[in-house]
Amino acid sequence: MAPEPALRLRGITRRYGPVVACDAVDLTVSRGEIHGLLGENGAGKSTLMRILLGLETRDAGTVERDGRPVTVTGPREAAALGIGMVHQHFSLVDPLTVWENVILGDRGPVRRAAAVASVREVSARYGLAIDPTARVSALSAGERQRVELLKCLRRDPAVLVMDEPTSVLTGAESAELFAVLRRMVAAEDRAVVLISHKLPEIMAATDRVTVLRAGRVVFRSPTAATTPAELAREMVGREVSLGAAVGVLSSASAPASSLPAPSSAAPSPPVSSPVACSLAAALAPASHSIAGDGPALRVSELTAPTLDGLRLEVRPGEIVGLYGAEGNGQRMLGDILSGLTVPDAGTVEVAGAVVDLRRSGALHDAGLGMVPEDRHHAGVVLDMSVADNLVMTALSEVSTRVVVNRRRLRARARRLADEYGITAASLDAPLRTLSGGNQQRVVLARELSARPRVLVAAQPSRGLDIGAVEDMYTRLRRCAEDGIAVLIISTELAEVLALTSRIAVIAGGRIAGETATADATAEHLGLLIGGLRS
Amino acid sequence: MSLAADLETVLSSGIRLTAPLAFAACGEYLAERGGALNVSVEAMMLGAAFGSIAVADVTGSAATGLLSGVLIGALIGIVHGLLTYRVHVNTFVAGLVLNALVLGLTSYLVTIGELGSHHVAQLSVPGLRDLPVLGGPLFVERWPVYLLVLIVPLTWWLVERSRWGLELRAAGEDPAAADMTGIRVNLCRGQALVWCGALAGLGGAYLAVGEVGSFNQNMTAGRGYLVIAAVIFGGWRLGRTLAGCALFGLADASRLALPALGFTVNSQLLVSAPYLLALVAMLLFTTRHRRPGALAQPFRRHAPDPG
Repeated sequence: MAPEPALRLRGITRRYGPVVACDAVDLTVSRGEIHGLLGENGAGKSTLMRILLGLETRDAGTVERDGRPVTVTGPREAAALGIGMVHQHFSLVDPLTVWENVILGDRGPVRRAAAVASVREVSARYGLAIDPTARVSALSAGERQRVELLKCLRRDPAVLVMDEPTSVLTGAESAELFAVLRRMVAAEDRAVVLISHKLPEIMAATDRVTVLRAGRVVFRSPTAATTPAELAREMVGREVSLGAAVGVLSSASAPASSLPAPSSAAPSPPVSSPVACSLAAALAPASHSIAGDGPALRVSELTAPTLDGLRLEVRPGEIVGLYGAEGNGQRMLGDILSGLTVPDAGTVEVAGAVVDLRRSGALHDAGLGMVPEDRHHAGVVLDMSVADNLVMTALSEVSTRVVVNRRRLRARARRLADEYGITAASLDAPLRTLSGGNQQRVVLARELSARPRVLVAAQPSRGLDIGAVEDMYTRLRRCAEDGIAVLIISTELAEVLALTSRIAVIAGGRIAGETATADATAEHLGLLIGGLRS
Repeated sequence: MSLAADLETVLSSGIRLTAPLAFAACGEYLAERGGALNVSVEAMMLGAAFGSIAVADVTGSAATGLLSGVLIGALIGIVHGLLTYRVHVNTFVAGLVLNALVLGLTSYLVTIGELGSHHVAQLSVPGLRDLPVLGGPLFVERWPVYLLVLIVPLTWWLVERSRWGLELRAAGEDPAAADMTGIRVNLCRGQALVWCGALAGLGGAYLAVGEVGSFNQNMTAGRGYLVIAAVIFGGWRLGRTLAGCALFGLADASRLALPALGFTVNSQLLVSAPYLLALVAMLLFTTRHRRPGALAQPFRRHAPDPG
């Protein structure tokens, strides 16, 4: 009889409301192997592993360790079962020392000398040099990763899960990490699950690979029997060339247009056929860009903690997609373009003029509108009324120096609400009571009411239902038709394919490559995301 | 009067007025290191002050009264902890409501019955009490004062050296990371509130059965807030926090001592002296770099965004 696998997951399912994060996922990991778990953001990798660690409950499925079904209720219980995890976002407490962090989660009295000795011993065994008495806040990203790994290995796990371990490491640090992993697996017969969206490291470091897409296992293979190109295709989706994307959209918009609009108290403005519109925008975007015009938005050599000399141009009337896996600098770019962060170096030009990024409101004044990624934190005030949110950035138009003219405020808000099809029981209702699609339209209406030259929309359809997504897309396309330069920052390929005429892929804080959307193939984009320049 | 005698008067009342602050500050310090900015110290102290006299009245034992004060403080800690960490009510609102509630309740209860006068025994250290100047103020005290000698090192050890303290500090600095490591953040903070309640209760009860000997309406008079100010003034270090308590205690003592020494200062103005001093001290000496990273931030585990 063959030995039982170290870890076997069967039929793991987890739903968040209507969203299925994991859909009947099976995964088997044997001793002595590094098993790659590959997938885009939101494919369900992290949820699956949080379930394994007991940080998340599951709706269905079983977990077996060495053939025995087990119930994991939390990280301590997981550790007792020999399952350890190195988290993507570090689980270290900054002001504590290395040894304190390492013994955090143990039981029994704290013995400093013993803890320090044990950290030294484990760090010598695996060649992970670290000073046990240093404070974590003083360590580099690579050193922190070492501490995470030490913390895990000291508990002698039979199964070690590593969630995107190299996302903050340099190339040399990554190579060193994988050398340690390989030594450990070979010498001590442990099982490792390596979660990643980076193709080169999956190819180099793993023995077998499982690809998740939209919560499902779509592909399994020994690593030696597959190619980066095949993995890229599987990760991004089999048929996502331009034609297929339009197909997806037309089928998606059909039920959307036949559905009654959610809580339709106010009349929506007539929307021209979304399919025709999407085709027009996708196939003939160049007709809107005015030849000979300079770029409306030019980002030059932008350098910040997660950006590495980013360069990007968007011309008037053009929709450009900035596509890439999450955590490659998009959030920082969004923060800079929102005026929340000042970059270390580099410039942002709007309509040919360099914007002074240190002055608050400078980007807005220069004509850059922003639909931020997380509208709840940066876009709107949920507990203020719809009307207040709509005019928030244009208070000077509805008020004197001291007094806000409520009548003018309401009139302006009413006009915007009608124009942008914002469905609300009352303009005085708190924004919180609106659906996600309506909240997003409020942000868009407000930004567009300032007549911007450039509109940046980060993850514009995140959290919206399908009808609201199509409406959002139609409005963004209309912006481009009106001559606005539109930049879409997105981690969703379908979105980028549906909206844009040009795709720039961001990886590691810089543009890995650019392609016309019409020429984009899943394989090419997947390779660019995976950090392989083709 | 000689200078030595004057000094002795100020010192001795200073120490007696510092002690209740110091007990409560040990509790508040520990709670804040765990991220729980406990604003119900005032309720804990006042409730315990009333309870200790009431129980002493019933049982006839001031020591039993002191112990019940500790228990009442802990009980208020449990209530505050349940509200904050089980029901997830805003901790400041819960704390301020508790403060108002206990003030109202004790003010009412004190009117329905006649409460007697009760004092715990005095204890003096033979030999040392005869030291010049320091002997009287330091070594002739109501016995609970000497508990400070145990409680201060115990608090330090709990926070800095015990497993629980390590987990508490982790919860105070980075609750999400602590949670991933398997620490029950809210349970940990709730326990810290109970500990804080017991010590604040000890402080309040000492004020009643140790210092004053009876209960007056609103007798803590905002000392709970001084304790919070002392922790901030101390920059979340135990030693400096206690120094803050001593500073405020001495300022309070000057209210009693200055007139006795022959100075005529408006007494209402002097009552406000410790609070004024607390404000100025916080302005001038507070450093924020030791502030626990997640102080007063509630923690709830979020499902990751599946989008």
